[in-house]
Amino acid sequence: MSYPFWDIEIGYGIIMAFIAVIHVFIAHFAIGGGLYLVVAETIARKKNYLLKLQFLEKLSKFFVLVSVVFGALTGVGIWFIIGLLNPAATEILIHNFVWAWAAEWAFFTIEICAALLYFYGWKKLSPKNHLIIGWIYFISAWMSLFIINGIITFMLSPGDWITTGNFWDGFFNPTFWSSLWLRTGICIMLAGVYALFVASRLKADEFKKRLIRFNSLWAIVGLAIMMPTLVWYISTIPKEIYDAALESKLTPVVAMNASYINAMLLGVVIIVFGFLIPKRYNIVVGTLAMIFALSWFGEYEWMRESVRKPYVITNYMYANGIDVAKAETYQEEGLHEYIQFKTSDKPADLFRRACRSCHTMDGYKPLKQAFDGTDEAFIAGIIMGTQAIRGNMPPFVGAEDEAQMIASHIYTQIDKRHLSEIYNLEGTALGKKVYDVRCGKCHVFNGFNDKSESLLEITEEDIGDILDMAGEFAEEMPEFTGDAQERKALIDYIMSLNKKETE
Amino acid sequence: MLPDSNFLSVPLWIIDTLSIVTLSLHLISMNFMFGGIIILLFGKFEDKWNNPIVEKFIKLFPNAMAMTVSFGVAPLLFVQLVYPQQIYSSAIVSGWYWLLVVAVVIIAYYALYASAFSKKTDSRQKIYLSIAFVCLLYVSYIYTSVFALAEKPDLYKLLYAQNQGGTIINPDLNSYLFRWLHMLTGAVTVGGFFVALFGRKNEPAFAVGKQFYLWGMVASIATGLVYMMGLGELMKPFMKSPAIWLVLVSLVLSLGSLYFLFKKKFTVSSIMLAVSFVSMVTIRHIVRKLALIDFHDPSTMAVNPQWSPFVIFLIFFVLAIATIWYMLKLFFGKQK
Ligand code: HEC
Ligand code: HEC
Repeated sequence: MSYPFWDIEIGYGIIMAFIAVIHVFIAHFAIGGGLYLVVAETIARKKNYLLKLQFLEKLSKFFVLVSVVFGALTGVGIWFIIGLLNPAATEILIHNFVWAWAAEWAFFTIEICAALLYFYGWKKLSPKNHLIIGWIYFISAWMSLFIINGIITFMLSPGDWITTGNFWDGFFNPTFWSSLWLRTGICIMLAGVYALFVASRLKADEFKKRLIRFNSLWAIVGLAIMMPTLVWYISTIPKEIYDAALESKLTPVVAMNASYINAMLLGVVIIVFGFLIPKRYNIVVGTLAMIFALSWFGEYEWMRESVRKPYVITNYMYANGIDVAKAETYQEEGLHEYIQFKTSDKPADLFRRACRSCHTMDGYKPLKQAFDGTDEAFIAGIIMGTQAIRGNMPPFVGAEDEAQMIASHIYTQIDKRHLSEIYNLEGTALGKKVYDVRCGKCHVFNGFNDKSESLLEITEEDIGDILDMAGEFAEEMPEFTGDAQERKALIDYIMSLNKKETE
Repeated sequence: MLPDSNFLSVPLWIIDTLSIVTLSLHLISMNFMFGGIIILLFGKFEDKWNNPIVEKFIKLFPNAMAMTVSFGVAPLLFVQLVYPQQIYSSAIVSGWYWLLVVAVVIIAYYALYASAFSKKTDSRQKIYLSIAFVCLLYVSYIYTSVFALAEKPDLYKLLYAQNQGGTIINPDLNSYLFRWLHMLTGAVTVGGFFVALFGRKNEPAFAVGKQFYLWGMVASIATGLVYMMGLGELMKPFMKSPAIWLVLVSLVLSLGSLYFLFKKKFTVSSIMLAVSFVSMVTIRHIVRKLALIDFHDPSTMAVNPQWSPFVIFLIFFVLAIATIWYMLKLFFGKQK
């Protein structure tokens, strides 16, 4: 609680995704590309395909400009951003792993020097020396991955560190190795797909055929490493985290399924156009393969990020920067007292701390739409029950009267008309809306925390009773505070489902 | 019990030393690049854009940028280790400007590459270098203002209470205007040194470098002294600290370096410059410590040693130096 909260209209998730996606793509490509260049150069020099060397030289210019300049600076950019968005978590990573960061920096420096000398050295250096520098580049780039991988995987699965606090327990954590090899596979795959893209623009001759096949081999080897290591990776994610993510069935699973399809499509493209009819590997195919590969990767990263919810460091810090260890204190004594950077608006301060790092009012993951047409008591109830909502949110770590304050703060910003008026609905359609707004956040029919059994096989009166005693089922579940019109519509809606089921 | 993360993993003096060494390297590379760009833009070289010394600088700028960034990462890491609260808070208050630094550096970087790769050295160079210059001016200003704000916890707290959107630039200009100007004039000074060094066999270029070294130094001494005079409440602790002796050492060594440069004794001059540089970075380090001592005294932080990771880092660090040395030898050595 010792940091100010940067209050911006753009969702944190969007900023993070934007820079992370760019950086992560380039960074992996920079590693795989390094290996590609040295291996291809070795082969080219042995067989003396002069044309190929020229091709590689051109490739390496782009490579240096993109990977060294852009890769390095977007890496620094991520670091700037996490310091702004989640300083508390950044501080933890730095305090515990400063020597890992520092070692990573040492390799980063070698990597940059080597990349520049490799690029300048095509004519100046003897073949042997040029290759030596190329290998130094690749090894140091991969070592950076090795080290940063320890820190990233720590966030998802801190393992024994949670009890020992020992550096090595955190670094070589349960997902370390699987993630390392998975990422190595991704590097190789991306290098192949990128080299294919460049080669796709060459004219269709024998050289192109050889080159396309050679590059396809990279892509397919990368894929072949990626798929089993991905399964391995998923199996190393601590079970309770993975199950919780599966249960809420939102982002992670959707992302994972989409990624399997993408990987398959990529495989098909590579086999058909890369190996069977390489001369036909044109720019359209090249672009497609690139899109499949990058989407796959994006989806994987998305899954990795969202599986960790509600934590930023599993079991240690919530994604909104609140220490798990302090949660109880805040709940008992109130959060506001512990916020060091205050404005004159107490409810707004509380709202920022508790919700704003993941939600905006009206943009990314908007709260306005979720609460339009409801009342303060309901909002307060939802705040007290956030951990029961689909989406793996952290619990609200503040006192009850603070939840009330946040609720009034939110309430001033929502649409206060009746639900029927806002969405222009009536009858069972209105009832469905009421359900979605007041119940659906926590219970999805035939889905998340399904209550079909309790709701669909009973009479109208029973449903009425359930609504009357809604506040008593669970601490997290709010009372039903809708008016008579909503109540009737809701009951009608549930009854209509009831009939459908029994028909 | 969950582990406590608020600790230092080696004794403070090791972190201080690493900070000072790496920040010195960062600032020297930055001065080479930034000072160099200013001198190329404003210096009077013969047939400027075809001058071999100028060309050499233009070719080296992108590499100097790579070094500046790389050497900048380490001190930024160490300062976040010791003063996370102050650094992040101040950065958040100026959030957008701070974030923009990254984008602006990327633009400057590509401008320098464009300049290095463009074949005909003509007025286009002027455009590229001017773009880089403006970008770096921005970066330097934001850095100074954010780090100056980080030394004023009461102020950033107050500013945050007024505006939470990260659109504030440190308004206490008095406290850092001369600090910034000292950085800029210092960059020109060191840039002048490098122009003279590279132009040692080219009399007109040497003369340009010499002039910038001389007048840059006059200006940086002036701005530095004004900044020092403006320390206000910090003056007393400053005078009682070793920093005041370091000021003397830096002054004497800088002037000595100037003298030997004029005599074309480059080795002595370089050594004196380097030592005075490190001494000035140390002064800066001490001043920050003094400014923040009532809010956060790093010497009171728990030390919870992580010797094995630290030693591994040291090994990798030495390995990095050796590898880079080896690669440069390969590059500049005879090719079989
Ligand atoms: C760690 C991030 C995080 C924090 C902090 C957080 N949420 Fe959420 N919230 C989510 C995610 C993820 C979802 C799932 C919905 C989605 O992905 O769009 C969600 C969903 C919701 C929903 C349901 C949205 C809908 O359209 O039905 C509500 C309401 C909500 N949150 C309210 C809050 C409130 C109020 C707070 C503060 C007390 C809060 N959240 C804090 C991440 C968070
Ligand atoms: C903030 C989340 C939340 C909201 C909103 C919510 N519930 Fe619940 N509900 C729970 C929790 C938590 C439980 C108890 C634990 C469980 O069974 O999952 C529960 C239990 C129930 C149960 C009874 C337990 C059973 O299994 O038979 C019913 C019925 C039910 N809810 C219906 C509703 C209806 C109808 C609404 C809308 C008016 C609603 N809930 C809104 C969280 C919520």
